[in-house]
Formats: sequence, C-alpha cells, structure tokens
Amino acid sequence: MQPSISFILKCLSISLLCASIPAQAVTVAQKIPSLSLTAEANYMLGEEDKPAVLILHGFLTTNQFHTITSIANFLHSEGFSTLAPTLTLNISQRRNLLRCNSLHTHTLERDTMEIDYWIQWLQAQGHEKIVLIGHSSGSLNLLEYLATKKPENVISSTIFTSLFYLNGEELGIIPDEVESARMLLKNRINKPGSYHFLFCNDQYYATPQSFLSYLKLDRAYTTQALNTIKTPSYTIIGGADKRLHKVGREWLNELESTPTNLIIIEGANHFFSNEYEFDIQDTILHILTPPLTEP
Amino acid sequence: MLALLIGNLYYQTQAIQTSLQQKNQIQAQEEISFALEENIINLTSNLLELAEWDEIRQQIEDPSYYYYWHEDRLKGSPYFKKHYSQLEIYDANKWLLMPYITDNNSETNLPLQITSEEPTVIFSPKNEAFLHLFEPVFEPDSKTILGYIGLSVALHQNLLTEHEFSFVNPDSIRFTGTNPVPLSELESHLQFEPITNSVSNDLWQLINNFTTYVIILLIISTILIIIIFQILFSGPMETLSNYVQQLKKQPKEAAKITQERFLIREFEELKHSIHDYHRDLQTTQNALKTQYKIVWEQARRDALTNIYNRRAFDEAWNELVATFEYNPSNITFILFDCDFFKALNDTYGHEIGDDVIRITAKTIQDSLPSEFPVYRIGGDEFAIILAGVARHEAFDIAKKCLKALKSYNFSGIGIKEKLAFSVGISHLDYQSSKNLRNDLLNLPRQADIAMYKAKQAHQHKIQCYKTELEQESLSLVSNQVINTIVDAIHTGKYISMHLQGIHSVTDGTLYYESLIRVQKEGLYIYPSDIFSVVERRRLEVEMDTQIIQQMLNAFKEELIPQHTGVSINISGKTLLQPQFVDLFQPFLPYLKDYKIVIEIIENTLIDHMEYAKTVLNTLRAQGFLIALDDFGSGYSSIRYLAHMPVDIIKFDMSMTLALDADEKTKNIIIATAKMVRNSGYDLVLEGVETEAMFKKAKQAGATHVQGYLFGKPKSIPSFHETK
Repeated sequence: MQPSISFILKCLSISLLCASIPAQAVTVAQKIPSLSLTAEANYMLGEEDKPAVLILHGFLTTNQFHTITSIANFLHSEGFSTLAPTLTLNISQRRNLLRCNSLHTHTLERDTMEIDYWIQWLQAQGHEKIVLIGHSSGSLNLLEYLATKKPENVISSTIFTSLFYLNGEELGIIPDEVESARMLLKNRINKPGSYHFLFCNDQYYATPQSFLSYLKLDRAYTTQALNTIKTPSYTIIGGADKRLHKVGREWLNELESTPTNLIIIEGANHFFSNEYEFDIQDTILHILTPPLTEP
Repeated sequence: MLALLIGNLYYQTQAIQTSLQQKNQIQAQEEISFALEENIINLTSNLLELAEWDEIRQQIEDPSYYYYWHEDRLKGSPYFKKHYSQLEIYDANKWLLMPYITDNNSETNLPLQITSEEPTVIFSPKNEAFLHLFEPVFEPDSKTILGYIGLSVALHQNLLTEHEFSFVNPDSIRFTGTNPVPLSELESHLQFEPITNSVSNDLWQLINNFTTYVIILLIISTILIIIIFQILFSGPMETLSNYVQQLKKQPKEAAKITQERFLIREFEELKHSIHDYHRDLQTTQNALKTQYKIVWEQARRDALTNIYNRRAFDEAWNELVATFEYNPSNITFILFDCDFFKALNDTYGHEIGDDVIRITAKTIQDSLPSEFPVYRIGGDEFAIILAGVARHEAFDIAKKCLKALKSYNFSGIGIKEKLAFSVGISHLDYQSSKNLRNDLLNLPRQADIAMYKAKQAHQHKIQCYKTELEQESLSLVSNQVINTIVDAIHTGKYISMHLQGIHSVTDGTLYYESLIRVQKEGLYIYPSDIFSVVERRRLEVEMDTQIIQQMLNAFKEELIPQHTGVSINISGKTLLQPQFVDLFQPFLPYLKDYKIVIEIIENTLIDHMEYAKTVLNTLRAQGFLIALDDFGSGYSSIRYLAHMPVDIIKFDMSMTLALDADEKTKNIIIATAKMVRNSGYDLVLEGVETEAMFKKAKQAGATHVQGYLFGKPKSIPSFHETK
C-alpha cells in the first residue's frame, strides 16, 4: 500500500519535530488508514549511524511493559533510535493492557498490517537500517510480518526473545474449542466466546475469528517461518522460561535447527527479569554492535 | 427540695436527650449530605475513569460486538459497580450505541438520546431514585468527543453500598418525587431519620430508670429517715418534753420517770439527768423548805425560851385581824408579866433572870392547850391568843397557867423570894360585838390595861378588862391629848420634829438627835405623854414610821443643815418589823452628804442579837451608822460588847452624871468608857449641861457630847430660818 502525500507530510513534520527536539521519548500517534485505527508508539531518536530498533511487546501488553521499556531505554542510551509501538488490538490509541476477558476482535493479520505501517514510518523518518526486536508473542508478530511481508531490504536483523508458538495442546489449547470456533466462523457467527488460550486459560474472550487467527502460529508454522525468512535472526531464550516446561526443551533443538542464532541466557525467565535484564541488554547490544574490524 | 432536685434532674436529662436528638439530626443531615456528595464525586470519578478506558473507545469505534462486550465484558469488569443500574455508551451524537439493549418502557432507564448532560434524578413510582450521569469520551490527547457514557445509579442502593452510616438510619432513607429534578435539588427530595442511638436510648432509659429508682429510693429513704428520726430523735424529744412539762405543771410532785428506753445514749442520759436533777431539785427544795421552816421557826422563836417571839406574835395577830372578818370567833387576849423582873435581874443576875424567863415560858406553854402557843413579846412579858374559846374557859386557862407559875419552885435556881406574876385578860364576844374589827384591835390594849391593874393588885393577880379600868389607866392623860397624839402618829399632823446637837469633841463636827414633839394649836405635848400613850396604845411602830417620814421630808425640803447629820430613835418593835430596812432606803441619796444614825436601845439589841446583827449590818453596809442608846441601862453583858453591830455607844444622863459621883463609881464609868473606846466605838455622853461636865466627859474619852450646854432641842424649821 502506498502512503498518501498527506501521510508523508505528516511524517516529515513529525520527523523534523523530533529532530529539533533533544532526544527524548516521544509518543507518536498515527492513524492507520487501512485499519481505521490510530496507533501510538514511543519513539526515541538516536545516532544517525546506528540502526533504528523497533521493539514489540508481548501478548495483550503495551509498550510500557518493563521488558520493552528497559530494552528501549538501554538501546537508546547506546545511541540507537528506538520505536516501541503498542499494538492497537483493535483499540485506537490503546494505552492499557487488555485483559483476558476483554473483548478480543484483533487478528494476527491486522497486527501484521500495523507492524508494517511502523516499519514504513521508520523508513519515512530516514532510518535506513531497521532492526526488529520482539518479546514473546511480539516475536511471533514480527516473525509473521517477516514471513508474510518479506522486507529483507528493510530489516537488517531481527532478534526474537522468548520465542515460542501459540497453538498446541501442551499450551492449553482445547481442540474442541478450536473446532467450535471454526464452526462458528464457518457459519459466520462471529459471536465472542471464552476460550482456553495461553495464560488466560478459559478466560480468553474473543471472537472466533480473532481466536483462530493466532492459532496459525503453531509449532510447525513457527519453525517453518524461521527457516523461510531471509533476515538474519537471533533467538534469545531464558533458560528458566517456564514455557519451556510446557513445550519441552526440544523446542530449543528445533530452534537451533533453524537459521536463527539461538542464545540461551541461563536462569532468565520468560521476561528476563531482575539481573537477567542486563544479560539480555548486553546480548542484544552484542548482536547489534558489529565487532571492530582490524585495518 | 428533694423533689425539686429530682425534677430538675429529669428536666435536665430531657433537655440533654432533646439536644442529643437535635445533634443526631444535624449529624445525620451532615452525614447524608456528605455521603451524597462523596458518592457523586466517586461516581463522577468512576465515570471519568470509564471514559478513559480503552475498551470504551473500542466500542465507540466498533460497536459490532457492543452487546457481547456490554453483557459479558463490561458487567464483569471492575469498572461496572454493583450499584450501577445501567451503564451505556452513547455515540458522538448522543444516541445509545445499542438502543435495543435498553428497556424503553421503564421511565427510570437511561434515555435513548442524551438531551442534557446535567446530572438528573429520576423517581420511580416505587419512590426509588435514579441518578443519571453523563460523561463525554474524548479522543486521547484531544478535545474531540468520540461519544458519551451514560450511567444510571440507584441512589438508595448506592448510598447503602458505598457508606456505612453512623448517624442516619439506612432503612429510613427515602427519596420522594415524581418529576425528574436536577441533582442540586436532590436533598430536598430526601427523607431520612437519624439512627436511634441505641446507646443514647439505653442511656436515656437508664437515666429514666435511674431517676425512677432514685425517686423510689429517696421516698423510701425519706420515710425511713422520718421513722428513724421519729424513733431516735423526735419521739424521745417529745417524750422528754412531755416529761419536762409534767414536771413543770407539778413541780412539787415526784414525777415518775418514763420507762420508755431511748436508743440514743444521749437522750437516755438526758432523761435520767432530768429526772435526777428534778429529784435533786425536789430534795433541795424540800431541804430548803425544811431549812426555811427551821429558819422561819428560828426567826419566830425566842432564842432564850424557844417559844414564839414577838415577830411570830405580830404575824399571828395580823393574820387574825386580816381574817377575823371572814371567820369571826370569840377571841381572848392574855398577857403574863413577871412582877419586878428588873429588880430580880439586878439582884440575881442575868443568868438567873434568863432562867426565870425560860421557866416561865415553859410553864405557861405546858399549861396551855396544845393548839394555843405562848408568845414572848417583851423581856418578861408573854402573850396568848385564844380563839374560839369562851370567856370563862379562857379565864380558867389563865388561872391554870398562873397556878402553875405560882407553884413552881424557883428556889431550885437560887431565887429565895416568891415570884409574882400578873395576868391581864381581854375578851371579845364576837356575837355581841357591834364593831368586830375595832373591838379586836382593842384587845391587846385592854389586856395591857388589865395587866397593869393586876400588877397593882396584891391578891387578884388575874384581872379581866372592864371599861372602868381604862378610865383609871388614862386618868393622867386627857382624852384630847391622847387623841391628838394618836392622830399625830397616824397622820403626821401636829408633829414637830426637834433636833438637839451631838457635838464632836475632836473635830467640832456636829449631828443632831431627832426628837418628836406634838403641838396642836396651843397644846404642846411633851415626850413623856407621847411615849405613855404610844406605849399604852402599842403604837411604837407607827410612831417610828412617822418619825422616819418626818425626817425624810426634812431632808427633801433641805431643812437639815449641811455637813451635819441626824440620828433617829427606833424602838425594838420597829427593829423587828420585816420591812425595817426598807424604811431607810429613801435616805440612801443623802448618805453622801449627811451622817445618818439609827439609835436603838440596848435591850432590843440584846434580846434579838442575831436578827439585829443581820438587819443592822445591812444598814451599816449601805452607809448608815448605828448607835446603841442608853448603854448600861439594860442587862447586856460585856461579852456582847465586841460583837454588837453598832458604831456609836451612848451613855445616858445617869452615867454622865456618875462622873461626878464617888471615886469608885466614877472609875467604873471611866473604865467602861475606855472599854467602849478601845472596842472601836464612838462614845456619846448625854446630859452634859456644864463646862465642868463637858471637861470630865472629854477626860473620860467621849468622842461626842450632848446636852443643854450645847443647846436645847429646837424645831427643824428654826434651823432653816437661822440659815
């Protein structure tokens, strides 16, 4: 989709505004025409010679999630420009996390469209190199984006943190519910219902369409997508991530069998909390900072 | 007072309760106002929070699933409070997002379209009140209104849910109204009642009960106190008071002590004390009575003979005279006299003479019927008053007494001569008397006349009065003189008091002896006639009283020369009168300027020494001087000299003249004078008529002299004329 002139002018004006302002987090609100929604993101401009980093939050959270803000602030302190959007999840200018029992009408596809918009926006800001960092389901959103949009020329690299998949009985998905949702959708009954989904257990209140859209991201699809994408990727998993218990440590093997560079930070949990915050920061920085070449 | 206190207490508690109720009402009003205000604030705050909730904007932007979201998500979210009646989302045009959700038939439901964003209160027919609030939903960071939130709150439930009332009774909260009203008018449609403060009510009930108990207790206590007071104090006091009243009414009777026992020791002691005091008082009174009787008896007993004395005789006679009119009877007056008693005294001495008197008195008393006492009315003179006795019986009694006297052997006391007694009898036959009082009053005089006749007789020693005897006794004195004297003594007329000077030998001071003279027109009556009549008519007391009055008048009229004094002669009878001292009280004011001397004769003093001492010492204490007249003429002995209540001793003329007698006699007189002087008395020698006598008188030790040498008696007015 080609952005409109007015859109470009707005981006430019915002860019200029951002350029004239000393580097601080700026909340950028953007109306995404394709979605008829207005999305917001925190933008911190860094050094010109460093890539811009888009950091995407996890399931139902916002860009204020601590894992996201710590990575963004850290990277910005290292001179990187950062953009941490909050997926609207079908709520314009969403600023609060959604609850499990919130009405979920968002879909994976609309999330991908939103990510795409922000990538273009970064480009419009003059960032030639863009790195993607995702956390948890945010990693899956980015993977889906890379797998479907194939922006190899735009994205220099991607870092997936706490990358797992969403669909699987080991994760609590009830096949009957899936089947029921499919039947409803098939019959064009998009009546919201409560489903077992991730940590929401049976409280996930969503339309069948919304629910089923994310079930695309099963184990096989995920590994397949990793094999498919051309962008260099790194996958950082916390060695103490409880989800590993659900999916099994074989998942690590499966990840290693893909082109992604798997990095295990032993002891870290799904959110890289506490001291592991520094570990993941260092790891990301290490990934983003090329080694000095000898003359 | 107690009732007032209790009433005041009750009133105060009532006032407190009313005040509490008012306070409760105010507090309840404040509480409910605060609750409403707070609720509105909270509701408004919640509404604001809702308005900022992402999911509201989500529904406004895409109400596709509004129904599901509204029923499942919204009502299960923390944003929807249990007291919310309705929560709806309106679009930007103020229309409900989903009109079909709302039951439009209910008047209390949120409107389909918002007509006014002002909070409004809607009343249901059941008097429920619903608050409708509306809040715009803005685009983030923009003033663009995306839509509205409408909230309907059941106010009653809201108040009860959000508040715990301390002062308002939640069950009493009522909203009354019909038409919708702005929120600002809500309170006027609100009814409530303060919580019945159970503590206050309990307290009030407690106070009521307490007051009731206190009243009951006070009544019981009062009754008990009254009973106890009656038993312990009032009753005993009444009993004691009655007892004292009884004693007062019958002071002479021995009142029986009440047997009632008092619980309080002090009352019991008081009871016994009163009884004991009364008993002791009675005992004392009885003792005093007895003593009084003794003294009375002693005052009326002759010291020598122990028979009734002159005083007793006068009282008996006066009583007879006073009562005779009401109880007339035959009266016989008998006089006994020892013939030549003075000579017997001189011969055998006073002790023998005293024995004679004693024996005479006893003999006469023993011879008399027991109901008739004998009185010693003079030195050797005895009187008997027989009442209710016939003449002949009285004569027999007199004869019996005389016989007893005659037959007594006086030789046993050393008297060699046979003693003779004279008896004079006068009798009043009341039935034949024409003037009872006069006839009675004449009896003593008549008996005296009869006795005088008996004295003159050698054989018939008992003489009864006859009128012929009176003629004989008064033969030397004419009736005119007698009448004049008697009249003078009774009325004071014709009395001319004379004064004769008694001169001090040492300092030349002077006082006068008062002497009575009677002069009527050309008739001048001398003292001898005066005294004869007085003696015969027994008018000594009357004469002395008249003389005293005459001298008092002289003082009042300032007839007595200044810086002098007077002496007044008093008979023994007058001395023995009960009011003797009173006769001289009017002279008291003159004592400071005049010397006032009372002269008494020796025998009167000696015969009634104790009584005379009392009376005369009373007068001496007041300032009067007492002079003993005719010292040596009586039968006083030396032993009386030191104790006589006198200041001045007067030697009569015979003793003064004795200074010219033989040496022996003169020495005796001089020695006697010296003894008198050494005893501390002034000595007056009467009868000094020459210079030689005056010189001898001075040599003898006289302090004062009296006699013709210094002037004859002169009438009092003549002294005043001389001045």
